[in-house]
Amino acid sequence: MADSPDQPAKNRHRKWRIVLLVIVALLAIGFSYLAWRFTRDDPVTYTDPEEHFKYGSTGGERESGIPYWIWKVLPKMFPEYLPGKAYTAGTEYISLGFLYEPGKDLPIGASRRNTQGVDRVFLNCAICHTGSVRETPHSSPAFYTGMPSNTVDLESFEHFIFACASDQRFNAPRIMAEMEGIGAKYDLINRFLMRYYAIPFMRERLLMLKGHFRFGDWEPDAGPGRTDTFNPAKTLLEFPLEKLETRELVGLCDLPSIWLQGPRKEKNIHAHWDGNNSMMEERNKSAAFGTGAFPPTIDLKQMARIEQWLLYKEPPKYPFPINDQLSAQGEKLYVQYCANCHGRNGRDFNGEYVGQIVPIDKIATDRHRLDSYTEQLAVAQNTLYAGYPWRFSHFRKTFGYVNLPLDGLWLRAPYLHNGSVPTLRDLLNPSSERPTVFYRGYDVFDQGKVGFVSDVNRFDDDGRSKDDSDNPRKYFRFDTQVKPGGLTPRDRNEGNSNAGHEGPAYGTMLSAQEKDAIVEYLKTF
Amino acid sequence: MNLQPKTKRLLWVSAIGLVILIALGGFFTWTKFFRQEKEVFANEEEHFKYGSLGAEGDRGIPYYLWMVLPRIFPDLMPGPGGYKSFGVVWEEGHEIPVGFSKKVVGFARITNNCAICHTATYRLSEDEVPRVVVAGPGHTNNLQSMLRFLFKAAHDPRFNSDIIMNEIRLVNANNYGNGGLSFIDRQIYHYLLIPLTKKALLQQEKQFTWMERYVTDGKPKPNWGPGRDDAMNLTKYFMTNMAEDNTFGPTDFPSIWNLGIRSGKDNAGKQMLLNWTGDTPAVRSVLIDSALGLGAPAQPWFLQRMADLDHYLSNLPPPKWPFGETNPINQQVAAEGQIIYARECAACHEPRAQFTNKVVPITEIGTDPERMYSWSKDAAAEANRRVKQMGIERPPMVETQDPYGYVSPPLDGIWLRAPYLHNGSVPTLRDLLNTPGERPQTFHRGYDVFDPVKVGFKEPLLRPTGPTGELTQPYPLFDTREKGNGNKGHAYGTQLSDQDKEKVLEYLKTL
Repeated sequence: MADSPDQPAKNRHRKWRIVLLVIVALLAIGFSYLAWRFTRDDPVTYTDPEEHFKYGSTGGERESGIPYWIWKVLPKMFPEYLPGKAYTAGTEYISLGFLYEPGKDLPIGASRRNTQGVDRVFLNCAICHTGSVRETPHSSPAFYTGMPSNTVDLESFEHFIFACASDQRFNAPRIMAEMEGIGAKYDLINRFLMRYYAIPFMRERLLMLKGHFRFGDWEPDAGPGRTDTFNPAKTLLEFPLEKLETRELVGLCDLPSIWLQGPRKEKNIHAHWDGNNSMMEERNKSAAFGTGAFPPTIDLKQMARIEQWLLYKEPPKYPFPINDQLSAQGEKLYVQYCANCHGRNGRDFNGEYVGQIVPIDKIATDRHRLDSYTEQLAVAQNTLYAGYPWRFSHFRKTFGYVNLPLDGLWLRAPYLHNGSVPTLRDLLNPSSERPTVFYRGYDVFDQGKVGFVSDVNRFDDDGRSKDDSDNPRKYFRFDTQVKPGGLTPRDRNEGNSNAGHEGPAYGTMLSAQEKDAIVEYLKTF
Repeated sequence: MNLQPKTKRLLWVSAIGLVILIALGGFFTWTKFFRQEKEVFANEEEHFKYGSLGAEGDRGIPYYLWMVLPRIFPDLMPGPGGYKSFGVVWEEGHEIPVGFSKKVVGFARITNNCAICHTATYRLSEDEVPRVVVAGPGHTNNLQSMLRFLFKAAHDPRFNSDIIMNEIRLVNANNYGNGGLSFIDRQIYHYLLIPLTKKALLQQEKQFTWMERYVTDGKPKPNWGPGRDDAMNLTKYFMTNMAEDNTFGPTDFPSIWNLGIRSGKDNAGKQMLLNWTGDTPAVRSVLIDSALGLGAPAQPWFLQRMADLDHYLSNLPPPKWPFGETNPINQQVAAEGQIIYARECAACHEPRAQFTNKVVPITEIGTDPERMYSWSKDAAAEANRRVKQMGIERPPMVETQDPYGYVSPPLDGIWLRAPYLHNGSVPTLRDLLNTPGERPQTFHRGYDVFDPVKVGFKEPLLRPTGPTGELTQPYPLFDTREKGNGNKGHAYGTQLSDQDKEKVLEYLKTL
């Protein structure tokens, strides 16, 4: 064998074979790596359900996610578009009312997920359903999950990112450089991806969304703790907005609490202020559109976890003193005046009219939110989640507002569907005696009236709190009055009326002492 | 031939491999393009509203494409609301409107059925959800506007697979394990279904060129508007090769409940006729011809479905006056009205009476003649021949003479059959009892808020629209001065006193 004549040829063959093998192996490894990298889909997960609620993903990052470092760098590049006009490293979005817990680099309501090899951030349910309470201007805040957000100004967040995307500085080289400036380290592939795909695509997407959200220019500002629920659904379905009836253009409403969903489900209490949907899971998926989660991208497993947790999530107990004697007196009045529509107490939702829809003429609260939801939208929503077993089929046009249980009521201020009455005590007054102007977004609790400190006298002309001189935040001046004239509903300040839910049946004619008693009792809810 | 064992084995393996491959390919093709899923309906009414007539092959629009069209072309639609803006009846909770069917033939496909033109809605105020009555005239549905939308979309540069698939991927795509359109299905959509549908729509458009013709005085043919079509021209151009003409025969969608009383011989043993100009002698023929017009193929299955529909519609009772609480019928006044009805109306409108379901000559009835001109005995003969060629046996359409007048139908459920006359030119029953000169010259069609006093639909008010509150009228205007839209004729009862008219009206509510 050793001196066989074809030995060199054989050797050469073997050599080539090895080279070929190595090339194939390298290619295989390379492709597997790329395949792994580009099919990656790893949400940051939390074992504790409350942490999961606050920071877990609904799947929105998959399509709508903002690359982590862009999320971090935009406030540095464009501080002038933030309400605070300043870059606050670590708590970049705090001036929008976003809540930051110590040691976290994302606010409550922002989640993180690695998709296609890029770390991305987007909002989740907690952004609108976690609130903040302080006892005094100098005490540190307590954050309550499931509570309607009282501080987050979602609309200003939208304005901020749309303004960034419209700015000429929003271009790949600039953003790449700025990101590296604050510590971003991207590998070659991601640098390539960012520069030629992610950043231009994000800009395109945001500008498209900006166009879609133009309905916001026609209605008054939402301010903290409020949002327009169903005009976004119309844009999702690409309704031609300019052809909508004027009366349906104002869809602003107060964010609701989302604890104790189980008892609501058992009692078949319809969801949304006008009770337009009777199925909890469908309502949740509908709301999840707001977190960027579309039928193909929604993370059903993670959503189910949140759903499950919210079923019997209890609202927090009132942490301040309650006058038992006064409360006992209030209970009797509550049973007489309120229980039929709002349930026997904060946990017992039984009552003849609980969950029923009161015709708008009877309840007489502001009708804009009701009118913003139309029959044509209700039926068009039936095409959402088409082709999935959970296709929407429970949306209905209604003609009034629904009677809700009052669990955790003390944390649900301001009151009424449009958040037009700052405190419970004000709500027990006839609308002529309710504050016409007050401030929203402040989180110091008003134990006397039950609600947040909102009195115009406690804020300066810029909306800064007079009690809280170190606090730079400007709060939102909420005006309940319609202005005459004006071209658009926004010019006329429509939709913010604090009228309705008043008259003898609603307790607004009781004596001041009796009203105080009811308020005292409602603290126990 | 002598082959080496090795070669033989190789050949065998290849042959088996090939057979398996062909079988798999065949199975794949069958699954993706021919596999039919059986439709299941809770009852006949649901079947009528959402059942397929089998037109998927000819007219089917792939489901997800159908779904995203209004989202891609909102500017081509009459208003917001997706398909609802065409006035289709859309029940709460349902994924498709009434008159639409979603059937899987390979892929889920959307087609239309009888209910698209024959389902009515009404309500007493806008603060109510419309009530749906099957087999009622589809007075809200603007079929022509929907057809034109589809054709316009097919011509639009946005009608391309990239743009459409982008939209579909937001609606349904199995990218993250939620189920939905697989990668392969999306490729089939991208490279086959979307381009083929576009082609089919452009092809179909050619069958509708007659719709866009100009009439004699240099004006385009008037629009059908909601609740009407150009029935006999549709039949003519689908079923015959006759040259396009300038005729315009607008036809108010009829109610198709209670067909039994219109069928067969009258009390004197005379043949009753259907269609506004008495073009057809039998219910089954009307059903078959209308369904063929929707693209249904002539298969045994189809004929069975027609027989079932015939049975269902022949026995379906008309809806009773539903406003007993808010606007009850005054039984005494109605009884007095019945006496006048018996004297003035019964001979032509009482079921199986002497002149009911017979042609009243145009010289006598005096209503707008255009609908008559749109049909002819030649067209009937040709259509009969075609249908026979398809292998369908049905009583033939009347081919002995050209139309010469209009049929007087029974008045069952007449309260919900507004607007009135064959061309839908008189908005309410009360207006119909007035002399032609006193009837409204223009009004709007397609609004479903009911007027229980005049019996018909109310005139919709202008509504502030858009951010600046500009006043607009979303409902199409009906102008009786346009060709085919005349509101003259049927002067019967117009000579009665106002008091007597009210009595007749009260009685008509009871029918």
